[in-house]
Amino acid sequence: MKLGLAAAFLGATLLAGAASAADKRWDGADDLPVNPLACSAGEASAAPAAKPYDGGKPTNAADKAGKPITLVDVPKLIGIGYFNATSKGMQDAAKALGNVTVKTDGPTEAKIDEQIKFIDNYITSGVDGILFAANDPVAIAPVLKKALSKGIHVVGYDANSTPDAREWFVNQAEFNGIAKSMVDSMAKEAGEDKGFAIVTSTFTTPNQARWIAEMWAYAQKCHPKLKWLETVEAQEDNNLSFNQATTLINKHGDKLAGLFGMTSVATPASAEAVTKAKLCGKVAVVGLATPNAMKPYVNADCVKSVVLWNPVDLGYAATYVMRAVVDGSLKPGATSVDAGKLGKLNVVNGSEILLGSPFIFTKQNIKDFDF
Amino acid sequence: MSAMSEIPLPQIAKRVMPWWLLRHETMLAVILLIALIGLGALNNRFLTLDNLLNQGRLTTEVGLIALPMTFIIITGGIDLSVGSIVGLCAILLGYSWKTFGFPLPLAICFSLSVGAAAGFVNGLVITKVKVPPLIMTIATLALYRGLAEGISQARSVRGYPEWFYFIGQENLFGVPAQLWLLLIAIVATAIVLDRTTFGRTLYAIGNNETAARFSGLPVDRVKLIVYTLSGLMAGLSACVLVSRVTTTRSDMGIGYELDVIAAVVLGGTSIFGGVGTIWGTVVGLAMIQLLKNGLALTGVKGDATIVVIGTVLILSTLVASSLQRRREGV
Repeated sequence: MKLGLAAAFLGATLLAGAASAADKRWDGADDLPVNPLACSAGEASAAPAAKPYDGGKPTNAADKAGKPITLVDVPKLIGIGYFNATSKGMQDAAKALGNVTVKTDGPTEAKIDEQIKFIDNYITSGVDGILFAANDPVAIAPVLKKALSKGIHVVGYDANSTPDAREWFVNQAEFNGIAKSMVDSMAKEAGEDKGFAIVTSTFTTPNQARWIAEMWAYAQKCHPKLKWLETVEAQEDNNLSFNQATTLINKHGDKLAGLFGMTSVATPASAEAVTKAKLCGKVAVVGLATPNAMKPYVNADCVKSVVLWNPVDLGYAATYVMRAVVDGSLKPGATSVDAGKLGKLNVVNGSEILLGSPFIFTKQNIKDFDF
Repeated sequence: MSAMSEIPLPQIAKRVMPWWLLRHETMLAVILLIALIGLGALNNRFLTLDNLLNQGRLTTEVGLIALPMTFIIITGGIDLSVGSIVGLCAILLGYSWKTFGFPLPLAICFSLSVGAAAGFVNGLVITKVKVPPLIMTIATLALYRGLAEGISQARSVRGYPEWFYFIGQENLFGVPAQLWLLLIAIVATAIVLDRTTFGRTLYAIGNNETAARFSGLPVDRVKLIVYTLSGLMAGLSACVLVSRVTTTRSDMGIGYELDVIAAVVLGGTSIFGGVGTIWGTVVGLAMIQLLKNGLALTGVKGDATIVVIGTVLILSTLVASSLQRRREGV
């Protein structure tokens, strides 16, 4: 009797699981409003209306204008090429500024509660400023607010938190800009009426969810015949990404003409899966990735375009922004900030600083980059 | 543990409370003390009340699950699905509140009962179908996580009412609110394990299950209870976690099973069953959390910290097993 009950329960849960998986034609997009760019080649879009400053403010921060400061950088995770690159940019900026010490430390997996623990411990150990890339915009907010309340400056880069939990956020590229570059590249490489799948990190990761939402909106508007087959999660895990990409290739067969990699881990792993399946030229891979990881595939003509900003510049800009905040030269209401060799960067969207347009690495230019 | 010697115990309990076990815990406590002093000397922010209480806050979620895990491992079993139950309960808490429109207190009860039910299913299949606990809970590790992801459809639930954040973020009499919960759970489980027939039955099962059965002990019922308790506590841990980080995600609790088992085993509970105490688990928990924290404050980076924790685990297990071998005269 009990046995039957257990079997029934197991069966029911399995069915429920299968049913919920079955209607997942595509997913991973968040429910926030989207703002797709115009279809034509021009990158210009109507400038968003100026918003008042909506960031937070530390209480009783020590006045360290012009004085040496110690910063900690807590990225989503450590040990991957992308955040090694942002970390290098921070070290470059620290060297250029001369009065900044910055250390990168964080979890070895992109897990939100681990990241919160790291930040919490650095609040205790005492730093002048925290640079972060959030694994979850809301979950990270309480600990960042705690930092602000203890007089520690907080600046985000790469992945934002809720605005009131940090002072400024350095935005590497606007989401709709990335989405346009990705979808346009895919339509050009594989065809307008083909089927695509996406390999992302997790459905709840804020950046990836925003990009996918914007890609969905932009494709519906400008490439309506694209067939979105499926989105799969692969954490930020190399092996899992490869396996997921291979599964997609086997599952969809000829219907699959392209793969989007949404992370710097998923894209090279997808390219590897396509290479191993001997489908170079038949299945296009377009994605966000760092150039070094993609060089073999780009040079072998298996991947034509890699979309990204320069993460070294991103880390560099974040450090300059932090210095400007501490010095008091970047105040709420400012319209631009001086970022050393990067020149002046514009303030957008209230409390964000925009690094620039996305960059597309191709066979012609990828050899010029080393990160 | 000194209380153990004051009360008359059946022969079986004497066998499972050998002298070296006491030594293992004492030794661990001494190591912990040395580590505390050493790390405190290296960093003046480590041995502050503020920091130590904050570490208590951070370790509560793992701690709540480590207590019933001690019971389970004493019976010679294991529960690898706890991290996934945390994820499932967290999702159901948020989902039933936001989507079904349950009042939040009801959603909390619902989530806790799902945790208990998830543990009950583990226990039921382990006792009735005789699936080894390792296999069954590996299966439900995947199953419960899959359910959490399927139900949530990858949407995070946010914006809980302010009062809900009390347990995760506020203080009660100057101590983090969730730490009180952990303290109560520690005392309750310690009393159950030390002073009740139920507790002694756990040791009996772990030492020799067949003998326990022939002695007329309700082996299956006891096992069912401990796995259900494990699920319930994982549900409680999920509520505390959601309250602390203010948001529900389907990837919550991934890898908790390893942290939990590490603490229990470091605390001297034998993975082969029959041996272990709640106090050992508490010392194990404190040891791992404070080592991580102390090393981080001293400037050791995240990846190196993991190496140190791993080394400590191996060394302590080596010492424990060599002591056991000496005891058994092998």
